This record gives sequence, C-alpha cells and structure tokens, in this order.
Amino acid sequence: MSEKPKKELTKSQMLSKKITDEYMDEAFRAKEEGRIICYTTAISPVEILVAHDIIPIYPENHSVANLTAKKGAQMCSYVEGLGYSSHLCAYARCDLAYRATGFTVTRGIPEPDMFLACNAQCFTLTKWFEVLSRRGGGLPLFVFDTPQYIRDKRAREEIVKYCVLQLKELISLLEEVTKRKFDYDRLREVVKYSAEASILYRKFLDMARYIPSPISIFDALIGMAITVYRRGTPQCVEYYKTLCEEIQEKVDKGIGVLPKEKERFRLYWENLPIWFKFSDHARLLGSYGGVILTSLYVHAWSFEFDLNKDPLYTLSENYVSRFSNVTLEDRIDMALDLFQRYSLNGMLMFMNRSCKAVSFAVPTLKDILTKKTGIPALVFESDMGDQRFYSETQIRTRIEAYFETLERLGLAKNPA
Amino acid sequence: MWESMSLGEIIECASDPYPSMREWKRKSNKKVIGTTFADVPEEVIQAFDMLPTTIMGTHKPLKKAQALLPDNACSLARSNLELVLSYETDLFDGFVLPQVCDTTQHLSDIWRINLKGKYFESYLAPRQTDRESAKYWVRKEIERLIDSLSNFAQRGIKREDLEYSVEVHNENKRLLREIYSFKNDNPSSVSNRELFSMIKLSQQIDKVEFNQTLKKVRDTLKRGTRDGYTDVVLAGITCDPLEIYDLFDEIKLNVVADNLLVGSRYIQGEVDPGEDLIQKLTERHFKRGFFSPIHGSVFAEFQEIKRLYQENNAKAVIYVHIEFCESQEYDLPDLKKMAKEEGIPMHVIETEYQTTSLSHIRTRLQAFFESIRGV
Ligand code: SF4
Ligand code: SF4
Repeated sequence: MSEKPKKELTKSQMLSKKITDEYMDEAFRAKEEGRIICYTTAISPVEILVAHDIIPIYPENHSVANLTAKKGAQMCSYVEGLGYSSHLCAYARCDLAYRATGFTVTRGIPEPDMFLACNAQCFTLTKWFEVLSRRGGGLPLFVFDTPQYIRDKRAREEIVKYCVLQLKELISLLEEVTKRKFDYDRLREVVKYSAEASILYRKFLDMARYIPSPISIFDALIGMAITVYRRGTPQCVEYYKTLCEEIQEKVDKGIGVLPKEKERFRLYWENLPIWFKFSDHARLLGSYGGVILTSLYVHAWSFEFDLNKDPLYTLSENYVSRFSNVTLEDRIDMALDLFQRYSLNGMLMFMNRSCKAVSFAVPTLKDILTKKTGIPALVFESDMGDQRFYSETQIRTRIEAYFETLERLGLAKNPA
Repeated sequence: MWESMSLGEIIECASDPYPSMREWKRKSNKKVIGTTFADVPEEVIQAFDMLPTTIMGTHKPLKKAQALLPDNACSLARSNLELVLSYETDLFDGFVLPQVCDTTQHLSDIWRINLKGKYFESYLAPRQTDRESAKYWVRKEIERLIDSLSNFAQRGIKREDLEYSVEVHNENKRLLREIYSFKNDNPSSVSNRELFSMIKLSQQIDKVEFNQTLKKVRDTLKRGTRDGYTDVVLAGITCDPLEIYDLFDEIKLNVVADNLLVGSRYIQGEVDPGEDLIQKLTERHFKRGFFSPIHGSVFAEFQEIKRLYQENNAKAVIYVHIEFCESQEYDLPDLKKMAKEEGIPMHVIETEYQTTSLSHIRTRLQAFFESIRGV
C-alpha cells in the first residue's frame, strides 16, 4: 500500500511549529535555569508573567492535545476512579489523569512552581488549580478575581480599579517569589507586542467575512494557539503577520474553504469545539455546503489594548470584558455583531457538558439570537473531550435535518 | 406573626415558609427581596425596611427551569430558578443575587432576563479572600448595594436604620448560638431538626419578630441528656431537605459543630459595633469560615473540619454533597483522602433537590454509624 503523500507545510505552519517547539524547549529548561513556571488560564493577564521572565504554561492546551488525539474517554474515566465526577471539565479531568499516570500523547508539561487563575474565563480553573496546588504541598495560587462586567458605567470603573489593585498584588507576589524587581518598561513593551498581535489576530479572524470565506473555524482554532500561549512576544506578532499574508493571498485569488458556488451555509458556532471530532465535523458540514466561520470563543483573544493607557489599566479592562465574563445581553450583542459582519445564515449551539461557564447561557442565547436574526438554531448536547457523551448518528441526523430546515426557509445562500 | 411560634410551628414553617411570608407581606405591606447563597449583607436590605430572604430551593416538581439550564447544572440552582419562575414569582419585589461560582454568575443573567419588571441587583463579592484588595472590594460592593437599593426604594438610609438592623441581626445570631450550644449538651431536649430549622428560618423571615420566638425557646429550654448520642461534625454548603435532620435524630446523632451556610457560617456573621458600620460589615465578611467556591488557603476546608472535629471531640464527620456542585466535586476527593490519612471517619451524603432518597441515606447512615459505634 502506498503511503499518503505528506502535505507540505505552509510558511505560517512552519513558523507555528518552530515557535511552539522553542517555547516547550524553553519551558523544559526552566528548572535548570532557575526560572519559574507558572500555570495559568488561557484567558489571563499573561503579559505580567512574560514581562517578569516567568514561563506561562497552560494545562488546558496540554489537555486539548490529548482530547484531540481521542484520549478523553480513557483519561476521564481514569480520574473518575479517583473520585472525580464525570461532569467536571474534561480539561481538568484529563490533566488530573496525566498527573496520576504520566500518560500523554505529547512530551508533557513541566511541573508548576505557582499558579495564576483568572476567573473571567471560569472558576473551574481556580478549583482545578487548588487541587494541583495541594498536590504540590500548597504552591502559591493567585486568583485574579474579575467580577462580572455588568452593564453599569460606574460599576465598571470600580471593577477595573479593583482589577488594577489585584494586578499590583500579583506583581508584588512575583517579586517575592523571584526576588527580582518588576520592570514596568518591560511590561509596556510586552503589552505592545500583545496589542500588535491582537490586531493581526482579529484581522485574521475577520477574513471569514469574505465570500467565499478563506478560513473556517477549524483554521481559526489552529491559528489561535500561538496567541493563546505566546502573546506578548515578537514571535507572536511575526506569526500573525505571516498568517494574514497567506490568507490574504487566498482572498485575492478567491479561494474559499468551499468554492463560492458551493458555500451555502455560513455558520456560527457557540461554545468550544468538540476536539475529538474536529476534522470529521469540517468534512461532514462541507459535504452539505456548510462551513462554520466563527464563534465568540475564538474571538476571546481579540484584545484591544490601548497603549496610551497605564498598562495595568488596559490589561484589566481587556481581561474583565471577555465574552465569558460579560452579561448575557452583552454576549448577545457580540454574537449579533458577528452575524452581521460575517453574513451568517445558520447557528450550531453546542451545550458542552464540560463547560458550564460557557454553556449556561446557551438556551437563552439561542432563543434571543433566533428571535433577533430570524434564523433557527440547532442545539445539541455533548462533551468537548469525552467521547462517551457523543452520539455520532444522532448528530449527523440532526445536522442533516437542520440544513433541510434552513433550505426550506429559503435561508441557504446558493440554490442546491 | 412569627413572634410566638412553637417548636412544631418552627419545623413546619421552615419546610415551606412561603405561605406565611405571603401573609406577612399582605399585612405589613413591606417589600420582599430574595437573595441566594451567600454573603449578601442582609442588614443593608433590612435597613431599607424591606425583608431580605435567602431562597433555598423547592422540593416541588420542576417545570420551567430544565429548559433554561444545562442538564448538569447544580440542583440547587435549578431548584431556585424553578421556585421563582413557577411557584413564588409574585412574592418577590426584587432580588439581590450574589455571584459565587460559574453557576450563580450565569444563572443571575437568566434570572434577570426571565423575571423582567422586578428590581434586580448583582452582588459581586470577591472570589478571593486572601488579599487586601478583597477588603477594598467588599466595601465598594456594599456601597454600591446601598446606592442601588436607595434608587429602588426612592430613599436613603440613616445611620440609625443600619444600626438597628445590625443589632437585630446580631441578636438573632447570638440567640441561635446560645440555643446551639445548649443543644450540644442536651441533644435529647433540642433536636437537630429543630435547631437547623431555626437557623434556616432566621435567614428567611423577619428577624425582628422571629427573635421573640427564639428568646422564648431559649428561656424555656429544659435540661436533657446526651447519653446514647454520637457527636458529629456536619460539613458542606447546606443540608437539604430538612428531613435529613430527622434521620440524624432517629439514629441519635448530635451535630455539635458544622461549617454550613445554613448553620455556623451564618451564625459567625455577627457585626462588631463601631462608628463606621460599613467598615464593620466589610470586616464581618472575612470572619466567616470556608465556603467552597471562594478561594482562600487551599487547605482551609480540611483544617477547619479537622479543628471542629478535634475541638468538639466528635466521632465522625458527615459531608453533605449537593449533586452537580462542581465546586464541592473538586474538593471532595482530597478531603476524603486527608480525612483518611488523619484517621477521621467521614461519611458523604448525596443530596439532590427534588429527588433525594431519604431511605437510601438512612440505610447508608445506619451502616456507617453501626461500624463507628462498634455495634
Ligand atoms: S472548558 Fe470551560 S470550564 Fe473548562 S477550563 Fe475552559 S472555560 Fe473553564
Ligand atoms: S456553589 Fe455549588 S451548590 Fe452553590 S450554586 Fe455554585 S454549583 Fe450550585
């Protein structure tokens, strides 16, 4: 049997690989170089860690690698045997299984010296990090507490002040742990890189507005990795420049994920992806002329840092206002903005058992979005990482029926 | 109406306080403000001459909440939402909802959107308690709550209003503490069910009136015995339904200490006297013990339980788990492990609003305590 020819990597893919390899090499060298490893949440003011030469490690990303490799059910059921319930976040379950067994499809991640949990994302990570902190005998855990960014101007000002105060406390803790003075000029530089990378990242995501769209959410999910773990570095800026150029080239040539005449359903996705079905879903939807273009999740890293403001202030404003920490009304407005800008005509609303932080709003979000856009939604429940909660036939049938409904309502873009 | 209740009436009212609250509202013409767990400064609401009441779920059937929440939402959240949407909607003039975990944060949005037209405020107390900024933030939130209630009530509050309210709440806690301590030595005179019904009702009905009842209860307490009773520590967030206490009584368990929200964590919340009452309310926030979703020291829960167990010379710890409470579910495996390492017998009770099986709990409790007592 002849081997499938390997697809040549694009320039951005090669760069992504290089950045990731260098990052992990650096992380694994950290201990011998006397550097601190801080586990943190994907949404957290990591710029402060980077500015202080602390290496941020994201256990969520490590879990994604294992879940994408379809190891979820195996790892999750292992920790259930240790007493953890089956409806906790699959990232956490997967990570706790890694701690207990050492099993991983990657080279693993180095052990932590401390933790930074930002609850603008969820409070699950605080609880999960508490477990890891205890495991390390009580390693320092800093909770960056971001109260919900409620719709009240004065309250928002106060919330940001509270967040700034906490960032100062974080800096004091880092100074204490490393016995080194924090360098605010270095922080300004790091925030500048983050700001540049964020603008480019958003530009990349927004290319999904073209018809046909040159990227799907699956490209966005792959493309987002570097900003998640390397923001605040010049490499991150370089990566997104390269990526934007590549995608722009596709736009210029009119190359879409699907050819223009076949692109019939431009879809919104609510929630995190089902990692172990990543490519299967792209193929399945594509066969019906469907392409998922965006979600609020991938936009969670499109920050708008204002370099004219105090860096602690602009960091606070940005982190506290992520989609997962605003009110439902604001989240609806954010989603509607995507519907309008990306000319969406369908929505897949995933109730993710793993992630209550994002899933709680789904039924209400769906009702209101449907009412405001006139587009019906497909709501389905499963788990982002644990295959035991996924039913292939049920999802296939429902997707098929959903596209038929859109068709019947005259919402499809190109006639079949 | 709540000034002179018998122990039997206390038990009955604690099981379903809403009919009497309706009557009270009709007679007093005062507003009722619902809150949920935990830490909303009730004194502030009462200072506006409104009734602060903590909503603690319903055991009536679910009708609407299921369609609005994920299947694995914690049963307390589901039950609370059902109560306000289907059963007691009219009773409440408004809500002050604290956000302590992902569930309560996102639930408060759903609650607001589905109960339009009612007063609504979020109480965003810090989810960390180990740093100075938390103190700053509690004070800011209390001040914001006062502003918000002033807008709603169309009036401010005077210092005397707050002072009086604080005194009423403090008295309530002192009375409960006295009764609790008496019960510890005389479990045959005051049952677990009676005590915890008093604590629950204290968080739900008018304390000015209920304190009268508590005084009478205290003054008429009769010495009993603790012979044949096994002293236990009760841990968790809340222990619901109250019938679980009947099971404790039935098998002669004496809850001598606890860290429940509907328990000692409430009683601990006395406010110290002082010039600056808002500052005193702020300081009180940090006097209370462990609450699972709020981050403090990572060993706090175990240390607290161990201390209660040792200081009270208890024979076991009973931990009440609320089905689908993620927060507890991250704590529990380590807690069990640490208890085992320290040789502390610990028994976990599973509860779920609407579906708790009392007979199952009874069988497991009996088996556990038979082994402890060496029967
Ligand atoms: S998937 Fe949800 S619950 Fe899990 S870590 Fe991410 S935001 Fe938190
Ligand atoms: S702390 Fe637990 S029981 Fe309380 S609302 Fe949150 S999930 Fe539910």
